[in-house]
Amino acid sequence: MKAIILILFAISLLNISISNRLRGFARLLTLQGFLLFVLAFIQLNEVTILNLVFVLLETLVFKTIVLPLFLDYVIKKNRITRETEPYVPYFVSLLIVTVIILASFIIVQQIEGLSGNTLFFIVALSTIFTGLYIIISRKKLITHLMGYVVVENGVFILSLAIGNEMPMMVNTGILIDLFIGVLVMGIFVNKIGDVFQEANNEYLSQIRD
Amino acid sequence: MHGLILILIVSLFFGGIVVKTKSICAGRKGPGIFQPLKDIWRLIRKGAVFSETATILTRIAPSIYFASVLLAVGCIPFGNVRGLLSFQGDFVFFAYALALGKFFMIIAALDTGSSFEGMGASREAHFSMLAEPAFFGVIGSLALYTGRTSFLDIFTYLHFGNYLSYALGSVMLIILVILTLIENSRMPVDDPNTHLELTMIHEVMVLDYSGFDLGLIQYTTNLKFAMYAALMANLFTGTLRALPDILIFLGTGFLLAVIVGGVESFTARLRMGRIPQFAFSLTSYALLLFLLVLFITGRFS
Amino acid sequence: MDEIALKLLPLVVAMLLGSVLIALVETKLKSLFAYVVLVIIVIGSSVPAIRALAGHPLEVIIKNPQVFGDIPIRIDALSGWFILIINLTMLTGGFYGIGYLKAYRKENTNLSLHWILMVIFHLSMLSVCVIQNGLLFLIAWEIMSLSSMLLVIFEHYKPETLRAGLNYLVQMHLSVVLLTLGVAGLYLQTQSFDFSSAMQLDNAAILPLFILLFLGFAFKAGFMLGFIPLHTWLPHAHPAAPSHVSGIMSGVMIKIGIFGILRMILLFPLSKTGYLEIIGWIILGVSLASGLYGVMLAIIQHNLKKLLAYHSIENIGIIGMGIGLGCIGLGIDNPYLSAAGFASALLHTLNHSLFKSSLFYAAGNVYRAAHTLNLESLGGLFRKMPHTALLFLLSALAICGLPPFNGFISEFILYGGLYQGSLHARPVGALLLILTILGLALIGGLAMLCFTKAFGIVFLGKGRKPLPESDWQEGPGNLIPLYVNSGLILAIGLFPATFVKFLSAPLALFIPNFNLSFFNFELLDNLQQVSRATVGLLAVSLIMLGIRYIVTHRTVQEVAPTWGCGYNGGAERMQYTATSFVRMYRKLAAPVLLVHRKNVEFPEIFPHEKRTYETHPEDALEANLIDIPIDLMQRFLSFFRFIQNGKIQNYLLYGLVFLFLIGLLSWSKLI
Repeated sequence: MKAIILILFAISLLNISISNRLRGFARLLTLQGFLLFVLAFIQLNEVTILNLVFVLLETLVFKTIVLPLFLDYVIKKNRITRETEPYVPYFVSLLIVTVIILASFIIVQQIEGLSGNTLFFIVALSTIFTGLYIIISRKKLITHLMGYVVVENGVFILSLAIGNEMPMMVNTGILIDLFIGVLVMGIFVNKIGDVFQEANNEYLSQIRD
Repeated sequence: MHGLILILIVSLFFGGIVVKTKSICAGRKGPGIFQPLKDIWRLIRKGAVFSETATILTRIAPSIYFASVLLAVGCIPFGNVRGLLSFQGDFVFFAYALALGKFFMIIAALDTGSSFEGMGASREAHFSMLAEPAFFGVIGSLALYTGRTSFLDIFTYLHFGNYLSYALGSVMLIILVILTLIENSRMPVDDPNTHLELTMIHEVMVLDYSGFDLGLIQYTTNLKFAMYAALMANLFTGTLRALPDILIFLGTGFLLAVIVGGVESFTARLRMGRIPQFAFSLTSYALLLFLLVLFITGRFS
Repeated sequence: MDEIALKLLPLVVAMLLGSVLIALVETKLKSLFAYVVLVIIVIGSSVPAIRALAGHPLEVIIKNPQVFGDIPIRIDALSGWFILIINLTMLTGGFYGIGYLKAYRKENTNLSLHWILMVIFHLSMLSVCVIQNGLLFLIAWEIMSLSSMLLVIFEHYKPETLRAGLNYLVQMHLSVVLLTLGVAGLYLQTQSFDFSSAMQLDNAAILPLFILLFLGFAFKAGFMLGFIPLHTWLPHAHPAAPSHVSGIMSGVMIKIGIFGILRMILLFPLSKTGYLEIIGWIILGVSLASGLYGVMLAIIQHNLKKLLAYHSIENIGIIGMGIGLGCIGLGIDNPYLSAAGFASALLHTLNHSLFKSSLFYAAGNVYRAAHTLNLESLGGLFRKMPHTALLFLLSALAICGLPPFNGFISEFILYGGLYQGSLHARPVGALLLILTILGLALIGGLAMLCFTKAFGIVFLGKGRKPLPESDWQEGPGNLIPLYVNSGLILAIGLFPATFVKFLSAPLALFIPNFNLSFFNFELLDNLQQVSRATVGLLAVSLIMLGIRYIVTHRTVQEVAPTWGCGYNGGAERMQYTATSFVRMYRKLAAPVLLVHRKNVEFPEIFPHEKRTYETHPEDALEANLIDIPIDLMQRFLSFFRFIQNGKIQNYLLYGLVFLFLIGLLSWSKLI
């Protein structure tokens, strides 16, 4: 069952690489959150009940419901619907994300002593790199934010892999989630979209020293 | 032999069920199930008009297209009864025979010297090229899972033991369904009902055909659908006995037709520039499938 | 053994004499006389080749202790296979050349030189296949390069032909340098020029020598090695050469590079180093990249011959994939993999020489009829040359690997090997093999795109630009080579088992403990089934055509203008052009390609003047890795141009200055 969820997660990564509509991207993040919820439920069967309930609530409430809702609100408020033409065309993005997944497979194969967590590591590594790639290759600020959400989804998977032995790692992963939430709320509350008319990053580079 | 007869039977009613489903989804009663067949029968007996730029290639292309699809159908087994052709690596012959048919249709489209057909030919060449590796990837995953390299061996030894393999089967099924949609130029890749040439892919390639050739091409489309339905049905027949196998075959054909009709009624065609990404993402899915099979067969370190 | 040498020697001398005599024959019969000489050489060399393939290799050692050491001449099964391929292509190419060169009757000396060089070229290629003495091998190789270069620049009054020839010469000499280093290294290690002494090399020396020789042969074959863009001679040399020379060069000369690689694999005891499997993977990877790159660039070319030349790079990639798979099989000791890999490589060598030379001859016919090879100007040539068109179609179908032709058979064997390999390999190996399979499928799809474009634009539709009048007709002279090749293409496709049976002798050389019954069972029996499939395909097509005739011959068949949606004017200019056919591909593959576009935007709705849109494809690797460095080097060196200003006084001054400096430095004991 875990394998299926991880493969579905990898499929969602591929779909992220070719998404150019921001609401579609947000819905994919919802899907990822839900998959992580199910994964956490199955995987963490040796932690205390309190910890488990906390993790599940966090994943379900925060990753699946709240964060995408905030993102939707920001998107609607600033009336942005599509991503601007990225630095790398979408077709090439698809190729690159496929190569990322295959490369992480090959890299993880070389590591000894993973005790059955190989698939976790592969998907986590590819998610992190895909998230970083999304941040590198897209232009809109909101997409950078969503790329960062993808990165810490990957970190969350990694922490789940060893969550049974070290439950504190999972909690640390949740803290990163909360950090993102604060960031999004910052955009929402301070209406950063009002200040920057263009939501691209071209003007950001003007504020360097 | 049984497989061939069953596929021919399914091809007879496939088009009709698709049209009927679309009509019911649109709230109409729709034509009868055998109406497309009656149309084909009427076309076959009609005379033809050919373009003055067309050479002998236009005349022979539909027949070669039909022959190539027929040979590809002959490769598909029925449960654990072999098809007419069965050898190690017959899936390679399957894919390349279909490619032969496509090649002839593409150059016959260029034969008319019209910009419409050229456009359709160009698009068809591109999309089938991008979807081609996905099929090889799926077969590679199946071959790795069962350890065999011919259609008959793969489907005979395909057991769905644990739920992981069921998941494998369903992902494969989804990829095959999408592959069918791309190869037969249906939604979301191409709208067969559009009358705007700029948005057509397959329909515009056959714009200058009439009579026997047009009837043959329309029947071949149905035959290709039935062929893919047979391929999907084979995923589940395995070593069952004859009667359940026949029912599964016919049922899969029926279900596939309903799905195609449903997808056509409820989706819009993708923007033309998004279709290459859509087609190539199938190959990426097939690669992920391969990784899943590597995991299932316990070959991870 | 020396009697055979004594018998061979007068034959060789007679050949050389005969080649010189060509100059003395009168112009009308010159080509025929030269062709007769070629035929005699073919007959003379094919007999030992066929015997070698049947299992009786020939070995002659000419004693020559002074310069070369012993000169072994060995015709084993591998040489036999390549000799037969060379002879076949020279036969068809020479025949085509007779007709093609009729247009150049006025250039007497040029013609004589051309035919003499053709005979020398043939002899040198045959010698490369059989000589196993390093020094003599290099001499034969050099003769081959020089004669082929001189053949290429037949039309030497055209500057771009000369430039292509020089480019070819320079890159061939880079390969000769590497080969010379390899042979010299061999001599230093084993004190003998004999190739078979490579068996006694110790481990440390095997790998560097193998790499040197491999690179030398790979440049000749036209592999795309990425950061070393030494494949760029192919797309320049093939269009510049006359069509029969292009066909011969693409058909056999680049295969000599493949022959060299295969010979190196046979001679060097690579299994001792333990690197054999890695070498196989590297060859596989390089070939896959080469195949993809070749076809990706072939698609956007405008010149028909340049398109075919880039496509040769792709087919060399497919052959290389077979070699790589074979090496992997040898490395992990899997006889099926090695058999499948080497069999597909050897078979594809034959197949490629058949259909590529056929395509080049057809392109020659197109050039004769239309005086241009630019795809944007051609169209509708089917009516003018129906035979050429249909034979071009047949070779195009074969080159895409479609059944029932021979390309399908060699790709089928390769697929079989790759799939079997993926079943038993380690996880990473299985993944890499599946990626290779996907790459091969993609190459097939891209080749289909390339050749539907090439065939459809050139022969179908209507002419896109008005062409000059030409009284060229199709005739037996320019059709018989095409028919011969097509017959073989069809025969290999329909009855593969009979042809693959001949491969058992060469395969036995590569695979230790070769088991003939295993080979028969695994490969040949399967191919019998494939034969049923391909014959069935042909039969069902013919039956369908028959049914069609029966049903429709009594109905009304009219001919009317193409449907133009209400407006039928300007139909030739409104047709799809070659550039538009591949436009979607150009946009998808834009990061890899380099296409210069020249167009002017339309600011107004009804433009006043004629606007043009042009695209010029270029090779990105060549532009970035060769042209730019050469440009920089020229600019740097131009600063020193003042030194060579042609005045003798200055040169005398340089001499005096040099003497003075030498005196000064040695007086101060610095040197």
